[in-house]
Amino acid sequence: MSAAARAMAADSSAPDRAAAPVVPAVSVRDVAMVFSGQAAVADASFDLASGRFLTILGPSGSGKTTLLRMIAGFQRPTRGEIAINGRPVSAVPPHKRRVGMVFQKLALFPHMTAAENVAFPLKMRRFDAREIPARVARYLDLVHLGPYADRRIHELSGGQQQRVAIARALVFEPDLLLLDEPLAALDRKLREEMQLEFRRIQKELCITTINVTHDQREALVVSDEVIVMDRGRIQQMADPISAYREPANAFVASFIGVTNRIEGRLSDAQGDAVTLDTPFGPCAGRWGAPAGRSPRVGEAATGMLRAEQIRVAPSGEDRGGLDASVSAEIVDVIFEGERVVYEARLAGRPEATLRVFDHDPLGHAVQPVGATVRLGWNRRDLIVFPND
Amino acid sequence: MREARAKRLVIGALVALSLLILSAPTLVVLGASFTAGNIIAFPPDGLSLKWYEKVAGASDLRQAFWRSLQVALICTIVAVPVGTLAGLALAKHRVRFSNALQVYLLLPFTIPLIGSGIGLMLLFGEAGVLGSLWPVGLAACVINLPFMIWAVTASAGALDPDLELAAASCGAPPLQTFLLVTVPAVAPGIITGSLLMFILALNEFLVSLLLVDARTVTLPVQIYNSIRSIITPDLAAISVVFIACAALAILALDRLVGLDIFLKSK
Repeated sequence: MSAAARAMAADSSAPDRAAAPVVPAVSVRDVAMVFSGQAAVADASFDLASGRFLTILGPSGSGKTTLLRMIAGFQRPTRGEIAINGRPVSAVPPHKRRVGMVFQKLALFPHMTAAENVAFPLKMRRFDAREIPARVARYLDLVHLGPYADRRIHELSGGQQQRVAIARALVFEPDLLLLDEPLAALDRKLREEMQLEFRRIQKELCITTINVTHDQREALVVSDEVIVMDRGRIQQMADPISAYREPANAFVASFIGVTNRIEGRLSDAQGDAVTLDTPFGPCAGRWGAPAGRSPRVGEAATGMLRAEQIRVAPSGEDRGGLDASVSAEIVDVIFEGERVVYEARLAGRPEATLRVFDHDPLGHAVQPVGATVRLGWNRRDLIVFPND
Repeated sequence: MREARAKRLVIGALVALSLLILSAPTLVVLGASFTAGNIIAFPPDGLSLKWYEKVAGASDLRQAFWRSLQVALICTIVAVPVGTLAGLALAKHRVRFSNALQVYLLLPFTIPLIGSGIGLMLLFGEAGVLGSLWPVGLAACVINLPFMIWAVTASAGALDPDLELAAASCGAPPLQTFLLVTVPAVAPGIITGSLLMFILALNEFLVSLLLVDARTVTLPVQIYNSIRSIITPDLAAISVVFIACAALAILALDRLVGLDIFLKSK
């Protein structure tokens, strides 16, 4: 079935289109999960439109996997309601949900061949037995495993096992595909290859997908939307570019990307243009807190500045067009080929250290340790958050 | 170079010695069974198969062997479901008092077999079932069950903890998940355990000695009884048949699950 045909079929099956023109594929409302008094997930609410690829990003223990397992039906929320295509599912056991899942350790059936693994959901869901072999073959082809159909699981490589797991999760055309960090154990090259593979298949089948990961790069690469979680709470839901460029709070700013934290005190505030008094002197910045939390002159605040937004120039040679310019000493240099990573410090102030990614395409000399340099950045790149 | 060679020589010699000591009893019995003489001796006094012929013709030995097979079969049939379920429960679920249960499972080893035997004899005697074969099989099962449970637990412990959830997300209800995914996935453990149970029950002597009477005597007891009267080479011959049975079981194990898996007990 083509992507367009699938999308149409999904549309026409949506209940009562007149009353609810857009039914989200997944709707999570005030969901909480409490384990022995500890809230693993609290007040989680979001909607995901059909056909979108969502990544839930967070450190371990942030509740992202718990949230995913509640959507899969393996755990029942303590509070709140989850709906899939408008149908509340809290009382529906996992085997009656139309949800495909790729597990962290894949959880392939070790006693079956690749093709038997893929055929299993079709048998369990009582597909027409005459239709099963062709369908299994089609999905094995989709993941480029056609020639390996009769191999046992332990005869396949790590990447091939991943592909079997994907085919098994997709073969019955679920309403929703869940990915529970299946790429975490792979080496970097294979992981990046599989990220693109997930992306390709997701677009090809136009299937609503929720991916869980702690890999911020993966979240940016594969997703239409990103949810950042920390300590059981959703910190932000946004598209990858907004999550990166417009972080909702200091946690999001520091979790995605390499970000310098500059502590200080507000000395001026005009709308969202603020001035932060820092060890580097007064720095112009942009107020990043949500609407309704306006800056107060004198309050303690934290400026977040991404490493790649800082320009380096030898001292004396100032770079034009930058809003801020400070002097610092290079204390560490890592040459990574396409970029140079500097640690630069304000003389005698170990707490005032900045990490800088220098991607200078014209390739000026790499600054040596001990050199004094000028660091510059733009006002809009220093995002200031209140400390509360 | 010389040092490496000397090292290889010493290790080789030690390995050869160990193998010799380990296999000596078997080799002696094997040799003695082919003797042409009338007394059990090693090296054998000439070669013949006459003692095997005698064993094949001796109806008491044949019947005892048949009864031992039955005992082993009963033991295995009881042990497979009980041991599989118990092993899975211990490996997969946080069973309350799981540690205490593990210690309990060790009891059959710590209590001398003679003690268990007397206990079982009193129990079965009270129930009035001594004299049939099934209590002997049941007894063999009770004292050896930990082997079965360990085999299954080891197999289940190596499984992905999400395997059953994966089956559920494939649409399998709990019973199908158990029958089509869990049990086949721990099949190597079940096969290993049941073959162990079979061999142990086939060889079981001490407890059987207390539980059998003239009608239900098993092969090891029969051999023991014969030794007490006269020692003839037919005992060596029947021992060889016995050893062959165990070897067959190990061969089956290797074919079915692979000995490497069994030795690593996965």
